[in-house]
Amino acid sequence: MKLITKYIILTLILTGAYGTALCQELDEIIQLHLKAHGDLTKWDEVESMKITGLFTAFSEEDDFMAIKTKDGSYYSELALGKADVIEGFNGTSGWTIDPWFEILYPRELNRDERNVFKQKAEFFTPFYNYKEKGIEIELIGKTNIDGIEVFEIKLTRPSRYKETWFLRADNYLEYKYTSRWVDFTYGVPSETYFDDFRDFDGMIIPCFVERTFSQRDRMLIIEDIEFNVEVDPNIFVMPRSKEIEDIEFMVGEWNVAVKAFYSRGNLWYKVDSTESIIQFESTNLISEKISFSNSFVQSTINNFTFNSNNNNYRISSYDGITSNINLFDGYKTDTTFIIENAQIGCDSTFSLNSRISYGNITVDTFEAEISQSNDNGETWNSSLKLKYYRKKEE
Amino acid sequence: MYKKLNLIGLILLLVTSTLMGFGQNIANEEWNQFRGPDRNGISTDNITNSDCNGNNLELIWKQEIGSGFSELLISKGIIYTMISEKTDSLQGYEYIAAFNERDGKELWRTKVDSIYIDEDGWGDGPRSTPIIDSENIYSLSGHGKLSANSKKDGKLIWQVDFVVDFGSTTPRWGFASSPIIVDNKLIMEVGGTESRAFMAFNKSDGSIIWSDGAGNASHDSPLKVTIGGQEQILFANGSKLYSYSSDGDTLWTYNMPFRGATAMPVLIQDNKIFVSAVRNPGFFIVQISNNKVTELLTGSSMKNDYSSCVYHNGYIYGYHVAAVRCISAETGEVKWTKRGFGKGSLMLVDDKLVVLSDKGKLVIVDANPELYSELATVQALEGKSWTAPSFLKGKIYVRNLTGFACYKIK
Repeated sequence: MKLITKYIILTLILTGAYGTALCQELDEIIQLHLKAHGDLTKWDEVESMKITGLFTAFSEEDDFMAIKTKDGSYYSELALGKADVIEGFNGTSGWTIDPWFEILYPRELNRDERNVFKQKAEFFTPFYNYKEKGIEIELIGKTNIDGIEVFEIKLTRPSRYKETWFLRADNYLEYKYTSRWVDFTYGVPSETYFDDFRDFDGMIIPCFVERTFSQRDRMLIIEDIEFNVEVDPNIFVMPRSKEIEDIEFMVGEWNVAVKAFYSRGNLWYKVDSTESIIQFESTNLISEKISFSNSFVQSTINNFTFNSNNNNYRISSYDGITSNINLFDGYKTDTTFIIENAQIGCDSTFSLNSRISYGNITVDTFEAEISQSNDNGETWNSSLKLKYYRKKEE
Repeated sequence: MYKKLNLIGLILLLVTSTLMGFGQNIANEEWNQFRGPDRNGISTDNITNSDCNGNNLELIWKQEIGSGFSELLISKGIIYTMISEKTDSLQGYEYIAAFNERDGKELWRTKVDSIYIDEDGWGDGPRSTPIIDSENIYSLSGHGKLSANSKKDGKLIWQVDFVVDFGSTTPRWGFASSPIIVDNKLIMEVGGTESRAFMAFNKSDGSIIWSDGAGNASHDSPLKVTIGGQEQILFANGSKLYSYSSDGDTLWTYNMPFRGATAMPVLIQDNKIFVSAVRNPGFFIVQISNNKVTELLTGSSMKNDYSSCVYHNGYIYGYHVAAVRCISAETGEVKWTKRGFGKGSLMLVDDKLVVLSDKGKLVIVDANPELYSELATVQALEGKSWTAPSFLKGKIYVRNLTGFACYKIK
């Protein structure tokens, strides 16, 4: 029994000693790795980087530009085959305009993509200030890749995404790392290789970066790096779709005068005064909440989006009283924004075409005229007018 | 008397040695089909290290020819291939064309189909590589028209339409399978309905000799191998590897561990078949014995996308996704990897790899499992270069999406 206890104690001591030795070795490796990247005092002074070069995807090489900031923001413009891609990340959330998704406006990044952008936004190596970034690292040991002796280091980000880094044993520069990447928004394993390390004013940076994931191959050749460039923080903010910006005149808080048309007297009568709130919900969505009374109170939620597949606006209108949902298609001219019932509502017996024309647009007012047609849009009969007056701050 | 016998013996020895090439291969007289005379990406020409040393790659000529991915066939001073030309942004034609091997100048062209426009933007025009025999050239257009044309002047002899005649569905990125000739049969992966996935046509008139199988046309091409003295036609289609006799009898099938191999199967060591795809697991090797299939090895150290491997002296050389790699055919062990070539292509001449990067960099590499060693390099072409090089009599013929060039090893 005593012998077993002694053995256990000895094992614990040895394991602890080995662990301590590994920790010391890891710290030493990281210090040498950072040193291999050049003058750290210079790196400490860098607040932003503008990287230009050539990016190859699908065997097609094109210009590449990326901006990184010390706080983990990232912006880039590149070509993926025939598609020009723009992407931004503020360190926490991000967006991309990627025509490969057949969406021409920005969309938000999902969790796997945010993890990718965390990797893209790394200033030069994730091991730089890794403790401050909440990154945990662990030395796995020495191994051999492609005939090169490397240190294998496991890296865990605060999000719990894991990476494995392989630093060359001869010069401590990164040779390869494996991580979770994305292919058409889905998480996939990736391998990234580094080569052609060059000196930029005393800072050493790999100018050849090749990444493979699924069957994809992406190659970046860095040609130039500018340090401490002035960066407009707005570049990291998700832009709105151009088409949604075109109907931005609607956004705000409004007082609304409601008039109804009485055919007997051929006159418009004011029937209600109400309020409306119209706001951006996301890059391609504006929503309106309005409640007004004609013969009875109508409470509706209207959602305005742009449908890039059909190249027109798509509007859904939900009526809280009747539970009807109507869909409209819309188009914008210089002076008016017209939406018409697309006849694809839930009520299959619906036969009356509806149209809302938004006109007389100024900075502080616009008018919505609601019409119906009984002859499939040949003629229209106006029934309601809603005049919107922007609420002024008191 | 002994002297006379010795002399006769010497003469006989010389004649025999010449015929047998002292164990060396007889150099190819033509590069007549997809991946060369044996369809294995190997030229039997000889080149030595000294041929390559000192960047001795000399440009002979370079020409624009029109969009397409077909490999270049060379026979008796003429280069045959497929090209395309647009008449406007959405229309145009695919051609079978002949060029003078001396200067790359066009000799003739014959329209074979309307142009295949690639919606993803990877490149328009034909994908398949034709095959030539003594009289004719046989080609498949991107839209699936199989044509026989005279080698002399390009005159159309016969044509069948896979989509119209056999109910084939045009694969995404177009028909890409390259025809093979066995005896007098033109054998194709058709992807037709009603047991017409694989078909053999009479090469004289295009009449059907046999058809069999179900499944859409893939981007892979049939391969002829001889295993145990038996001629077999292999098709890697969907998730199966099929073996047919040239008469259309199924010899064996094998369920592959992946779907959609695009790279060609490779015969190794007389009775083993290597097949690789970019999907997991990556590759497998099976042994064929009396039409029985035994799996020998599965691994992930070689994942071919659309570029095929070559086998040489126990090792497989090819593109692992986008890196040139050498692996052991015995164990799958990686011997070396070289990045920076993108998804290019390669072939083997003697014991040299002729490697073309996906952006037109041409490199001669020693086919040595112990070490990656470049012997010569030149930026042969610009832009997308997905077509594998051809080799004949000391000259390398390379093609990018829109043009081609001839380089000579000095």
